[in-house]
Amino acid sequence: MNLSKILKNAFLIILASLVLTACATKKTSTTGQIQGDVYTGTDSVKYLASGVPDRVFFGTNETVLTTASRETLRKQAAWLRKNSDINVVLEGHADERGTREYNLALGERRANSAKDYLMTYGISSDRISVLSYGKERPVDSGSSPLAWSKNRRSVTVKAN
Amino acid sequence: MNRNFAISFGLHTLLVIITAMSLPFLAKKPIDLPPIISVELIQITEKTNIPFAPKAKKIIEKVKEKEKKLVSEQAPPKKIKKQKPNTVPLPDKKIEKIKKIKDEKQNPEKVETEIKQISEFEKKELFDTNSIAALIDKSKTESAETNKKLDKVTQDQDKEMDFGGLTLSEEDALKAQIFGCWSIPLGLPFNEDLLVRIKLQLKPDGSIIKTEILDHARMNKPGQAFYKVLAESALRAIKLCQPLRVPSKGYERWKDMQLNFDAREMLEG
Amino acid sequence: MLFRYLFILLVLLPIKAFALIEVDITRGNLNPLPVAVSPLSIDNKSKENFKKILKHDNLGSEISIIVENNLRQSGLFNPLNKEAFLQEPDIANLKPRFEDWNLIKAQALVTGKVTFIDEKLRVEFRLWDVLAGKEMMALAFTTVPSNWRRVGHIITDKVYERLTGEKGYFDTRIIYIAEEGPKTNRIKKLAIMDQDGFNNKFLTLGNELVLTPRFSPTNQMVTYLSYFRNLPRVYLLDIETGMQEVVGDFPGMTFAPRFSPDGKKIIMSFAKDGNSDIYTMDLENRIVERITNHPSIDTSPSYSPDGKGITFNSDRSGYQQIYVMESNGKNVKRISFGNGLYGTPVWSPRGDLIAFTKLHKGKFYIGVMRTDGSGERLLTENFYQEAPSWSPNGRVLIFYRETKTNSKGEGFSAKLWSIDLTGYNEKMVETETDASDPSWSSLLGN
Repeated sequence: MNLSKILKNAFLIILASLVLTACATKKTSTTGQIQGDVYTGTDSVKYLASGVPDRVFFGTNETVLTTASRETLRKQAAWLRKNSDINVVLEGHADERGTREYNLALGERRANSAKDYLMTYGISSDRISVLSYGKERPVDSGSSPLAWSKNRRSVTVKAN
Repeated sequence: MNRNFAISFGLHTLLVIITAMSLPFLAKKPIDLPPIISVELIQITEKTNIPFAPKAKKIIEKVKEKEKKLVSEQAPPKKIKKQKPNTVPLPDKKIEKIKKIKDEKQNPEKVETEIKQISEFEKKELFDTNSIAALIDKSKTESAETNKKLDKVTQDQDKEMDFGGLTLSEEDALKAQIFGCWSIPLGLPFNEDLLVRIKLQLKPDGSIIKTEILDHARMNKPGQAFYKVLAESALRAIKLCQPLRVPSKGYERWKDMQLNFDAREMLEG
Repeated sequence: MLFRYLFILLVLLPIKAFALIEVDITRGNLNPLPVAVSPLSIDNKSKENFKKILKHDNLGSEISIIVENNLRQSGLFNPLNKEAFLQEPDIANLKPRFEDWNLIKAQALVTGKVTFIDEKLRVEFRLWDVLAGKEMMALAFTTVPSNWRRVGHIITDKVYERLTGEKGYFDTRIIYIAEEGPKTNRIKKLAIMDQDGFNNKFLTLGNELVLTPRFSPTNQMVTYLSYFRNLPRVYLLDIETGMQEVVGDFPGMTFAPRFSPDGKKIIMSFAKDGNSDIYTMDLENRIVERITNHPSIDTSPSYSPDGKGITFNSDRSGYQQIYVMESNGKNVKRISFGNGLYGTPVWSPRGDLIAFTKLHKGKFYIGVMRTDGSGERLLTENFYQEAPSWSPNGRVLIFYRETKTNSKGEGFSAKLWSIDLTGYNEKMVETETDASDPSWSSLLGN
């Protein structure tokens, strides 16, 4: 085992690892709109009123609210308090990577998470109904992690 | 942040050094070539003749040494008929002995197959372990039947007859023929007993005089409809293959034959 | 001692019979069985009558084509080319010249006759064992002319059963969701067709989203999920009359409906406050029973054929898995333990297996396992597929597959596929439109 051989191997290894790390960094740059598997972008977001986003997003198979989601829902609650005659329907959705019926249940659970949070901010349950579309109404028809993350959502819709 | 970077760099460098030092070792490791096995092409004739290669001779000598012990424990084949009275009353003991010997021989697998070859070649001289195996198997199936008296009789019949079976090549030829004729029904359940045994009576030219399905009662059993289908497919195979590829000589020994159609191997695979 | 031996010797010496040679046949060919399906013979007068009523030139020929296609689709038979047939249909039906049929290598032969009699369609057919040269089966039946396609399917069922030992699945229908439009806004309609794709009919108009239909055991009714008035609920539809009614009066979303094997109850999921549990409702007395009571999602229930057990999908372990329980909800046991997520469990009509969808490392699989969870076998893998449904003889699974969209969101399609339990004969089922959520009826004749 001579020195030149060791050096040659070392060089090859360094080169290989550089290539790998390069790939890794490339990956992260295109998914800047996803953080911790939850969509953080604003592409598909609509607004109930100025500064009040109409939807919150979830991680894969998740139904818990992120900090960002809670912030959005607080804004929605405030807006609902101000407009006490408006009722809403919370529509829960899932991405396509799951079986149809389970996704219906998952969507309902997500919408219900949002509803519960709104209720803790004083919105009466009479004003909120919950509905699930499972994977039937994606906003993004693509089959990529970004598209899927946009589809995992609970959307607040004016009912009247 | 910088600290993390420094630690990461240090660990990576360490990893690089370790790999660099170990790689040459991997490169130098010799590749294990599998030992070359010589294959001899054997012509299939009516009687299997294996060219008496020097290697085979050595093995035969070796086996003969081993067999000597065996032969001395039991009477040599030619004397069997006379010595029948000695061995008949102790059929069980004999089988146990034979089993033990057979087991010992089974460990070096290579030797087992060579014994088989040799037994074909030197049938008359050596004690035919094949026939012993056949004997054991027969006695096993026979014991399943309730008639114990018959056991002794058939065992003795077999002993006389171990030289009357089909040779390896005769059996292969017949099997190959029927393999080609048998359309295994595709719809069979693969977790059931898929064995159909058919007894045949043949003419000298290999055409069928009579067929008889053993387990005939099973054909109409409820829930076993697939058995009827399987049996019919076997019958079709036999009919399709007429005249069967039978040996040209020794009509007496194969005019009654039993074919055991077992679909399990094909369907389970 | 010596006497005994001598006696045996004397008795046995004369026996010079040869031992029975046994040859083990452990191989054969697994090719589909070559079958000749002769056009059914039909007299000129009957031909005229049927042409008038049904607008088909030669009903005898048409029916035999149905039989031929069915047998071919099953993957177990190879119907031979008619061009090679030597015997005329009418003669073949009475006394086939087996040498002729043997010549083209047919091992089985189907012949028959069609007559128009008393305004009805009368069919008689025979199945022959060409090699044995004898008749295996002969049947005759009468029906209304408009049922002529079913006649072909019924003949196939009988022939299939006689040649495989298993009941057939050809006189059946499939209910499914016909879909059209962009993925973000699919138009979905309830549709029904014969198992060979003919006689397709739409049962809803597409104004509201409809999903996951299932036949009743008598095949007269369908239960499904509808978003009528934006309220997702389980509905019942009468196929004959087209009448729809909502099942029960639930204060929340009900979905994933099935019939019980005796047809008396609907079993489904009911979602309330973020929790989905399994409930049943008796169709007669409207009594609702709660079957599962767990904070997890419980859905996709499926009864065992004897009605004593239920298999369902639950994420009570943290991820979607398959469970079985007694029909009253007791003794819940998990049966799926492999790597990945499991869903859509369906109990085979034979009671021996449960089919399912599995998702693992981004791929979807259709598989089967025994009812205790052992013997898991994956039959097919794809980018996206789910929701297997059993043929009534428990041999074939129908499911649906979706294709990926490209970067522009185009190219999306959904189609029905079927596969044999052995994993062979995987093929697409043709439908006019895109299709999903298929469900197989039981044999119509029952």
